[in-house]
Amino acid sequence: MDIIVTIKEVTDPNIPPSYVKLDAQAKRIESPFGVAPVLNGYDENALEEALRLRERHGGRVTVLSLGDDSSRKSLKRALAMGADAAILLSDPVWMYADSATVGRALAAAIRKIGKFDLVMCGRQASDTDAGQVLYWIAETLKLPAVSPIAKIAESEPTNLTVHRLIDGGHQRLRVQLPALLGVSSEINEPRHPTMRGTMNAGRALIPGWKLRDLGIAQAVPKVELRRLTVQTRTTKAQLIDGSSDADRGIALADKLHDMGLV
Amino acid sequence: MAGILIVGDLAAGRPGSEFLELAGAGAALAQATGEPLIGALIARDNAAVRQDCLPPVQRLYLIRDSELRHYGAAAFVAAARSALGASSPSIALFAHTLETRDWVPQLAAALDAGLVMDCVALSLDGDALIATKPVYGGSVWGEFAIRGTLRLATLRPGVFTPATPSDKPEVMQLTVEHIAVNAVTMIDEVAAAASGGVNLKNAKVVVSGGRGVGGAKNWHYIEGAASALRAAVGCSRPVADSGWVSSAYTVGLSGSSVTPDLYIAVGISGAVQHLAGISAARTVVAINSDADAEIFARADLGVVGDYKEVLPAFVKRIEQLKS
Ligand SMILES: Cc1cc2nc3c(=O)[nH]c(=O)nc-3n(C[C@H](O)[C@H](O)[C@H](O)COP(=O)(O)OP(=O)(O)OC[C@H]3O[C@@H](n4cnc5c(N)ncnc54)[C@H](O)[C@@H]3O)c2cc1C
Ligand SMILES: Nc1ncnc2c1ncn2[C@@H]1O[C@H](COP(=O)(O)O)[C@@H](O)[C@H]1O
Repeated sequence: MDIIVTIKEVTDPNIPPSYVKLDAQAKRIESPFGVAPVLNGYDENALEEALRLRERHGGRVTVLSLGDDSSRKSLKRALAMGADAAILLSDPVWMYADSATVGRALAAAIRKIGKFDLVMCGRQASDTDAGQVLYWIAETLKLPAVSPIAKIAESEPTNLTVHRLIDGGHQRLRVQLPALLGVSSEINEPRHPTMRGTMNAGRALIPGWKLRDLGIAQAVPKVELRRLTVQTRTTKAQLIDGSSDADRGIALADKLHDMGLV
Repeated sequence: MAGILIVGDLAAGRPGSEFLELAGAGAALAQATGEPLIGALIARDNAAVRQDCLPPVQRLYLIRDSELRHYGAAAFVAAARSALGASSPSIALFAHTLETRDWVPQLAAALDAGLVMDCVALSLDGDALIATKPVYGGSVWGEFAIRGTLRLATLRPGVFTPATPSDKPEVMQLTVEHIAVNAVTMIDEVAAAASGGVNLKNAKVVVSGGRGVGGAKNWHYIEGAASALRAAVGCSRPVADSGWVSSAYTVGLSGSSVTPDLYIAVGISGAVQHLAGISAARTVVAINSDADAEIFARADLGVVGDYKEVLPAFVKRIEQLKS
């Protein structure tokens, strides 16, 4: 089973809100000093699941990222986890690209790679929180898209049985390949890179493709980011007094009762 | 023909509460553009529409098809396309739910239309729809300009002021044409194990547990407090990821947005991605053993302490107060 996993390098989502800084144009979030960018969490889940499918069915796992040069670090991490090959899409024209543009570029790169049975993406990127790029890839490649996936219950070389989250539960779906999945965090616990994997990844060559290598034209974006603003919270909870935890529990009940909330 | 189209679900004859919020947001855009506000409801069952809970729209399309009973992107995209075909709107608005997150971007990609999801504010600037949406978990907001003949947005529940129901818009039936046949077939739908039977999304009171609860074996503390308060149960993402409870209970960016009068967070640190789901909660109470936990910067009331001591005493007192 040949699988392509799209991975995005993002600002660490665990930076406390009070440390979040923007660049001068207020269009990008900057990592505070010393906090390295990370591989988007859901993409790491997607890669882990792809590696497990390869362990069962054989084939190749190729990771694909669109980003600046720093994204090579995340691609190397993916290689160290066990991916067979990595490709970087990097071109200044994609600096503030919208979801459609990113999705179409990734789709064109997938076409260029050629052979695949399955495309795996994260359900969303933790910097944009957009949850769109995967669907633009699917539409461009005319693949069915299924997301968010919490489990691959069965896998055969030509079809998968997956659990897709819906309000109040999940659906069990049979998906004929080729297809595209948007992966959610319930699916697995991603492995850590091995020492040996890290050494091999260090030596690996990662081709860099530009817009002209993909044979597509640059489209006028439909969605344009105007600016970002940091949201600060200023409220502070009123703390309930009491001589013990149990006392505070009782006082909380009384307080909520007085407020008419219980 | 142009218009502002709002698209929602109809179950047991009633649209979801978000439909009135869409109408509130849509009415403001309709007024600014001079275009009519038009509604479309995707019926999930055979119940007749109850006229007393419909928003003031000029026309209401009702879309029925047996394929719409269970969620599937192809059928929902086809249903929305028939409403778009009938009304040719310049803007279409949807509620942000787990389902729309899956099918509205497929609709956008199929029509090559600009879309911003999970919006908390909308306005117009010339030919652009300006959509504000939380990014990076919610600690940053992004302002986006959407352009094109059709502009799409999904709106975060509980944020926009709902319209008041009005008397009887003109209802027109629409059929769904051309559901794309694709390689996805449903085997079955599995409902999450019911937890006290209160629906999380519409609950007036929610008791949510986080990683601090310490394991599935302790989950009865959360269930117990919820049943004493007749509340719905919620959880943080790590709780669902660890399989203590189903992800149907996840509150936050990747789960449900809730709109209760009272939200009690137990052993939850208050990460932005969790807070994203409770932006519309009226009163937030936090029970956490760490006085420095972020949740205390969002909560109205806080108890610093071990929930295993706090909750049982709290529940007992609640029961005394009720009797
Ligand atoms: C893209 C993305 C999407 C996400 N979506 C969501 C989402 O939708 N919902 C969500 O919740 N998270 C989401 N997260 C995860 C989020 O970032 C946090 O990791 C998560 O919310 C933390 O969960 P928690 O508060 O339960 O656990 P922790 O952060 O581990 O906090 C546990 C808390 O319990 C307290 N505690 C421990 N023991 C006790 C005790 N005995 N009594 C009282 N308190 C105790 C601790 O002091 C601590 O504050 C998302 C993350 C990303 C990157
Ligand atoms: N620049 C990118 N490079 C590689 N994959 C991406 C990129 N942007 C988005 N994706 C993929 O698309 C998913 C959804 O992204 P988004 O629409 O930005 O939330 C991510 O989880 C990735 O798998």
